[in-house]
Amino acid sequence: MSYDFYKTFILPYSAIIIKICRAYTNTQEDFEDYYQEVCLQVWKSKDNFRKDSKWSTWVYQISLNVCLILLKKKKNNQKHFASDTIPDGVLEDTDAFSDEDLNHLYSAIKKLSEVDRAVILLYLEEKPYQEIADIMGSNSNNIGVRIKRIKERLKKILDGQDY
Amino acid sequence: MDKTIENIWKEGFIKSGDLTAPKINDLYNQKSIHIIDKIKRMNKINLIAIAIGAPLFLVITCFMHFPITGMATFVILAVILYVNRNLMKGFDTIDKGNNSYEYLNSFNTWLKLQLSINRKMAGFYYPALFLAVVIGLWFSPGVQQIFQEILAKPNEIYLLGNFPILWTIPVIIISIVLAFLGGRLYDFDVRIVYGPVYKKLEDILSDMEDLRK
Repeated sequence: MSYDFYKTFILPYSAIIIKICRAYTNTQEDFEDYYQEVCLQVWKSKDNFRKDSKWSTWVYQISLNVCLILLKKKKNNQKHFASDTIPDGVLEDTDAFSDEDLNHLYSAIKKLSEVDRAVILLYLEEKPYQEIADIMGSNSNNIGVRIKRIKERLKKILDGQDY
Repeated sequence: MDKTIENIWKEGFIKSGDLTAPKINDLYNQKSIHIIDKIKRMNKINLIAIAIGAPLFLVITCFMHFPITGMATFVILAVILYVNRNLMKGFDTIDKGNNSYEYLNSFNTWLKLQLSINRKMAGFYYPALFLAVVIGLWFSPGVQQIFQEILAKPNEIYLLGNFPILWTIPVIIISIVLAFLGGRLYDFDVRIVYGPVYKKLEDILSDMEDLRK
């Protein structure tokens, strides 16, 4: 991957990648691994990009897919251990951002299922329902209903009514 | 909760402004370690299998009354084990403090050397193993008895000493063919067992080379 490619096609969208990777990881180390893997996969998949969608949508899609795959792999690996908690010596990254409310929101998002996390991240990034549906392989009506439910659940978590 | 999640999201990122992308400088560390560990583990299992298999085969062949095959095979496998154990020591000299690319590259160089030495050895040990089986069977009591019965009957077997010359010719031809094809047989063996993992190593290296451009 050339630096030019990184600078032109990844760096301007790094915020998207960071936001998604943060939602699927608990430690800084994992976050950096996921981020790097997403960058690598964006670069590797660049030739498959069809120009009927926006590059940012493409980056979203790859980021979500990579995070979901890595998370699945990680879960499979953890099945070999007695506990699926974070290993000793690795601190959970609960204050990745300097804004406290944002950290709370991220903690709440991490309590959602993998798919719900993806949907709400796209929603919070103000993606239209149709685009979210396209990325998630669903339809806009279902997405609308799902977003409503997720928001209700997030509110409960943030209010301390749901763990 | 006063703020909506939409506001927390927007304001949070504006306030914190810390969406700095991590540096992509350690991209392949985990992958490199993973693939190297995998190859090392496979090699180790292979050597353990030889270390257990060789004496076991010796015992079995002794029970089956062709100990020459067992002993010859044991010696051949012991040599393979000794050479490969020494080669494994070379792996430990690779500087793990190198960056991922250099580490992986050094590992690849070591692996190629290991494969090339084993390939050369295969030209010797494939015919040697074949001869071990043939000679072992030859001198086994069962086969000796069959020979005696054949030789006792009137026949046209040409003997040199007590050896039926015509029968030894195919053995010699097969041994020569095995000596020539030993390297290729070894490649075939390696491809079956290690093929996918070696390919992965090559892919990672080629990716890293692209990445360095």
